[in-house]
Order: sequence, then C-alpha cells, then structure tokens
Amino acid sequence: MTRPVPDEELMLMVRDGSAEMLGVLFDRYQTPLYSFYTRLTGDRAASEDLVQDVFLRILKYRRSYRPGTPFRPWMYQIARNARVDHAGRQLPHAKLNEAAAAAATSAAQQSPDDQHELLHRALRELADEKREILLLSRFQGLRCEEMAQIYGCRVGAMKVRVHRALEELREAFLRLSGTGGEAQRKTAGANDEL
Amino acid sequence: MNCERVGELIPDYLEGTLGRNELRSVEQHIEGCAECRQLVTLARKLESLPQEAPSAALSERFHALLEAYGEGRAQGAPAAASPGWSLSWFRSPFVAAGATAVLLLAGFLGGRYTAGESAARSQQEMASMESELKNMRQLMVLSMLQQESATERLQGVSWSTRQTQADPQILAALLRTLRYDSSVDVRLAALDALSRYGSHPQVREGLAEALTAQQSPLVQVELIDLLVQLHDRSVLDELRRIQQDTSTDPAVRQRAQRAISELS
Repeated sequence: MTRPVPDEELMLMVRDGSAEMLGVLFDRYQTPLYSFYTRLTGDRAASEDLVQDVFLRILKYRRSYRPGTPFRPWMYQIARNARVDHAGRQLPHAKLNEAAAAAATSAAQQSPDDQHELLHRALRELADEKREILLLSRFQGLRCEEMAQIYGCRVGAMKVRVHRALEELREAFLRLSGTGGEAQRKTAGANDEL
Repeated sequence: MNCERVGELIPDYLEGTLGRNELRSVEQHIEGCAECRQLVTLARKLESLPQEAPSAALSERFHALLEAYGEGRAQGAPAAASPGWSLSWFRSPFVAAGATAVLLLAGFLGGRYTAGESAARSQQEMASMESELKNMRQLMVLSMLQQESATERLQGVSWSTRQTQADPQILAALLRTLRYDSSVDVRLAALDALSRYGSHPQVREGLAEALTAQQSPLVQVELIDLLVQLHDRSVLDELRRIQQDTSTDPAVRQRAQRAISELS
C-alpha cells in the first residue's frame, strides 16, 4: 500500500506552481470543512460557498505558505477568516441568504439520531466562538497545540477555553434534554451517561 | 484530585497525551464524579457526530476551475478549444468570455512567477493576484447562474453580491436572470442583488425592460416597488399600460396605480 502524500508536501507543490495539487487537498478536506461549516452556521448553501472560498483563498495566498507549517491549522485559520468575512457581508443581504437557506434543508432537521440532534441544538445555544472551539477541537480533531496557533494564544490558555466551552455545552445539553442545569446537575445520578 | 484540576487536564485526557500517573488519577476521579464524566461523554459524542458531504456540484465546479486555471498558466494565451471547455458550465458565451479573461490573466501571472522577487514586483504581483481572484469569482458567478438547479443559481446570485464594484458582465447576467430565469425565487433574488446597483445606467435600463417583459405578479410587484424607490419616472408610460391592462393581476395593477401617483 502506498503512503498518501502528506498535506504539507502537496501544499508546497501548490505554492511552487502545481496548482492542480490543490485538487487533491480539496478532495481531502471538502467534507470535513463543509461539515464544520454546516455545524457552525446551520446553512448548507452558505457552507458550500465558504468551502469554495477557502480554497480560492489558499490559491491566492499560496505564496505565504512556509515549509514546516502544519497544513490543517493553517487551512482552518483561513476558514475562520473566510467565515468572519462572510458573516460581515451577510447582514445587509439577509433576505438573499434566507432565500438560499430555504432552498436547502438544514442538517439538523434531517438527523435521524435524537442524541445527535440534541447535541446539535445544544451547540447552537453556545456563542459562536465557543461553538467554533468545540467543533475544531472535538469534531475536527485539532490538538490544543494546533488550536493555540489558530487563536494566537498559549497552549495552556487554549486548554482552559476548550474546558470552559465543554462546561457550557453540558449546561445547554442538560437544559435541552429537560433534566435541568445547575440545580439538577448537583443531584446527578440519572444523567451520568447523558 | 478535585474537579477543577481534572477539568484542566480533560483536554489532554481527550487527546491521549497524559502521563501514566496523571491518567490514573483522572480516570479514578471520573469514575466517581458524574459531572466530569458527563464532560468526557459529551466530548466523545462530539467526536462521533456524522460528517456530511457537500453536493457533487461543488467538487465539479472547483475542479473545472482549477483545470481552466492550470491551462491558462501552461499556455499563457487564451485557449480556443481545449478539453476543459467541453464542460457543461462553459457553454454560455458569457462564461466563455469570463473564462478567457481569467486564462489571459492567469497565463500572464504564470510567466511572472518564475522571476525573482523584488519588493516592487511582489506588490505588483499581489495586485495582479487580486484581479486574478476577482476574475475567478466572476467566472464562478457566471457559471453558477447557468446551472440547472435553482439552488445553485440562487447561490450564484448570492455570490454576485460579493463584488465590491459593479461588474458589467455580472450585471448583464443578473438582468438576464431577472428576465428569463424559470424560478421566481431566483428572479426575486436577482432583483434584490440588482437593487444595490440602482444608480448604474445599465441596471436602470435593464429594470425598465424587465418591467415590460415580466410575467410573475410577485416579481412585478417587487420590481415596481424598486423603480419607485429609485424615482425612475421613465417607466411611467409602462406603469400606465400595466394599470389599464385588465388581464394583469389585480394586485399588480393596484401597485402600478400607487406607483404612478408616487412618481407623478
């Protein structure tokens, strides 16, 4: 079995002129990125836009990619910026985005799994940044060290942020599952395994 | 070990990077503490959320774009009939014209990448790349407006609003969408996008023509409202015709009547 070419090697090829290698990276990451965006925004049409935008940006900024830079955190940093720009543009054209969103169905509505649905709803209750942190660290599997690069903070501080976001998610999850927050949490027992 | 200390270690625990002693302490604590156990369970649930794939059209579009981009860089000149052009979304003359512009620019840039980097050149290169990206976006919008699926055409309209400046080709494509698109939703979205360029002569003219041609009452009403908002008195005659035409939807006639009094 041949070993797949590492992302970083592919990105260096893209940087050095083999733009077609970006197609391989696109194939590798279109689904994780799209899933990340749909979980973050709940809008499938906008999520496809964003995935496309991320790869156009990678092509645009390919010359700024330095050897030795881990590709995934670099890509997710671009993904975060794309999302921030997109959110900024969205306000004056809310009507348009509503129309696009209405044409698609949200991932949450289609989930056959109640637990997943509940978790998805609990995620939606969190502030954008906390939801993003949890999706990057647990859903996309980025390590705290990589996340610290993305958020420009120390690894220790990143761990605290992940932990706090998890705490908030638990509160939201318990509230939505009808088993209460703070008061009932203390009595625990029945909700051990959520 | 208390909850606070365990909380600090949970990210490492989840990543599997704890040392043996710390791991044992954390595990012992979690076994006896429901709250910390819930945190870990939730984190594991997040890991197991299903991934969702985007539509095949996204991949098709992106690969076609890369192909066109690569060909442009390789040839350094507009390609007359390369295999990439047989792709369905290149059929329209609008798209072909946009793509030619991209190929020209991309080829031009391709030649320059081999050269050394002086500061001035880098700056010039960045400016060229900006324009390259703008053209790629333009190509993308034009192609999306040609798609068979209404959702994709809606996305195309949505993308068109990302242009900071009015692009005559995109405006022309939006005006065509407004007049000829089979979906009322897409026509309405195009109208919404065009409303941002109300002061543009090309748009003014196109909106007036669309008023004459438009069949959907919903779009007619929106169009009339926009023309009133733009104080476009040149459409007064057409509004009077609509208002007097008994075969026109009553709501549209009423709206035309109101528009006439507001514009007169």
